[in-house]
Amino acid sequence: MSRQLVATFCHEVNTAIGNRDALKIRSILVLEPPFANPVYYELIEELRNEYPADDDGSEDRLEGVISASVTETDVGEDDEGRPIQSWNPMVVFLAAWLTFIRDVDTSQLLKAYQAMSEVQSKGNTALQHPTKGILVLPTLISYAQIFARLAVALDRQPELAQVALAHSDNDKAESLAEKAANVVRQGFLTCLSDRNTVPGGIKDGRPDGKKIGVYNMANVCLKILFQSNKLDNCSMIFKNIDAASPPLHFYPAGDRVTYLYYLGRYHFISNNFYQAQMVLQQAYNDTPTHENFMKQRRLILLYLLVANLILGRFPSERVYARPEAMYFREIFQPITQAIRKGDLEAFQRMMNLDLSWEYAAKLCRWKVFYQIGNCCETLVYRSLYRRVFLLAGKQPGPMDRAPPSLDLNAVVIAAAFLEKRASASPAKPQANGWSFGLQRPPTPPAYIDPDFEGMESATPYIHQFDIEEIEGLCASLILEGIISGYISPKLKKLAILGAKKAGSPVKAGFPNLWQVLSTKKREQAGGDDVEGWVKTQQAGGGKVVRLASARPAGS
Amino acid sequence: MSGAAQGSAATTKAVTDDKSKNGEPAVEKKPAAQLEEDDEFEDFPAEDWTEEDTQIPGGNTHLWEESWDDDDTSDEFAVQLREELKKLGQTK
Repeated sequence: MSRQLVATFCHEVNTAIGNRDALKIRSILVLEPPFANPVYYELIEELRNEYPADDDGSEDRLEGVISASVTETDVGEDDEGRPIQSWNPMVVFLAAWLTFIRDVDTSQLLKAYQAMSEVQSKGNTALQHPTKGILVLPTLISYAQIFARLAVALDRQPELAQVALAHSDNDKAESLAEKAANVVRQGFLTCLSDRNTVPGGIKDGRPDGKKIGVYNMANVCLKILFQSNKLDNCSMIFKNIDAASPPLHFYPAGDRVTYLYYLGRYHFISNNFYQAQMVLQQAYNDTPTHENFMKQRRLILLYLLVANLILGRFPSERVYARPEAMYFREIFQPITQAIRKGDLEAFQRMMNLDLSWEYAAKLCRWKVFYQIGNCCETLVYRSLYRRVFLLAGKQPGPMDRAPPSLDLNAVVIAAAFLEKRASASPAKPQANGWSFGLQRPPTPPAYIDPDFEGMESATPYIHQFDIEEIEGLCASLILEGIISGYISPKLKKLAILGAKKAGSPVKAGFPNLWQVLSTKKREQAGGDDVEGWVKTQQAGGGKVVRLASARPAGS
Repeated sequence: MSGAAQGSAATTKAVTDDKSKNGEPAVEKKPAAQLEEDDEFEDFPAEDWTEEDTQIPGGNTHLWEESWDDDDTSDEFAVQLREELKKLGQTK
């Protein structure tokens, strides 16, 4: 049986290349044991006997055999007699595949990772062939997905990752996940920059050439980076896409939704909540409602919901009633309730950094806790000013020429009162009301830096609202545009103008949050364009190259 | 897929019915463990799907509430605040 199977496999691959059957190549070059077809075990047996791992010459001999039998990798001519360069990288890639299945041991994750990295890199080189490279694209995408899984699994085993780092000769401490993402990124860039396509990269409504793999490859990179918490590294991918990708809507639905999910989350962590909600709403709209996709819909909805929350848009009953929104009501309704009422106490309790609120840890794991705590606090303050205005604002009589106003001292009283209650123990959630009658008198929160704890001379910092803070806060809310009015620093009053035009003083002074925030964010971003989301076809498959600073060739 | 989409609509209805019958507590008492979930975004199967598969009952409009300001000055929260303000002579 000697050399028979290696030769048979080579022949099969050669035929598939001749037929330009990329899917057939993928079906032959399976990578991950257990193999459904027993012939692979026979092949492995043959490889171990004929090309043993401990023989330094095995790989060269394998390449020789492959090169001789996979003749489609030789220099050739196309139909019109134009020369086609040789595809030697495919020979190297095939040898790497054979060596991989010969040696792989699924119990040795780190070794498998290193071998996988090698196969993936060699596949990337094979992908670069201008006309034949595309034939390994489906194979390479399926490998990338396996590689991603492996990299993420390893990233979660710090002791293994540490060994790898210690062995690394690279000075830059890159995690295994980052390295894997970088390897896959090479394949992504090859797809993105494929010149062997029609201009613009779209033919008959479909991505042409290797461009078909752009989002698929990008998604694998993004998956690795997100799962290993290296979100900063994603920006390069979005910039690359922005510069050279065909429009997203030409791609298959699965590619689109996955990509939009990562793009939305990226904008979310970059504090671009307006862009995040646009991207995630599209992803949500485009995901099937079938229960098989409930998990994806839930994750999309989660970040969409929080981005909207931060922009002053609350989930409606329709959202909470969705099956993918399970428990969202329990988690988010107390937060929207606190924002609605200006209930600083409830908000501070929920957002306490000691994570004592029952859902705080969950929100942390979802990586939305600090965003809610930071961004929604402003919304709570706006509602508090509004609430105090309703309770204690001055409405001028018909003959009065003074505008409606609010004594800011009243806000100091309200804020201090709520803050004191928030710091009262025990810190139990106050979902429906007030029950502090029997508790010990509340004390304001005291802070002492852990470094100074126990020192006699260290006096704890106790935050207490004063008129300066409330006035400053009011000024910043006016600057944000979410309170409309002006402050009289002398009288310590907020005056509201345009009550007649708006219909009432409260409407004039406290304009609709979503309207204000969304308009502002849209203006800041210069419209509804989102970095990383290509909606229209770009000339020549890329952005306009500015030649203003370019020098003539040869100068 | 259309049969599947109907199935999903039925699930929605079941959940809503459950809530309207028992109010909130039915879901409130679920153990915290059920809240534990993997945050990995799973890959979609290779086959494409149509717009029809993505429709939720009633469409994707009115999912978000944009006007929610609360003008109620008689709820408990408002009453407590008013009391405090009154104590310090700040109500109108």
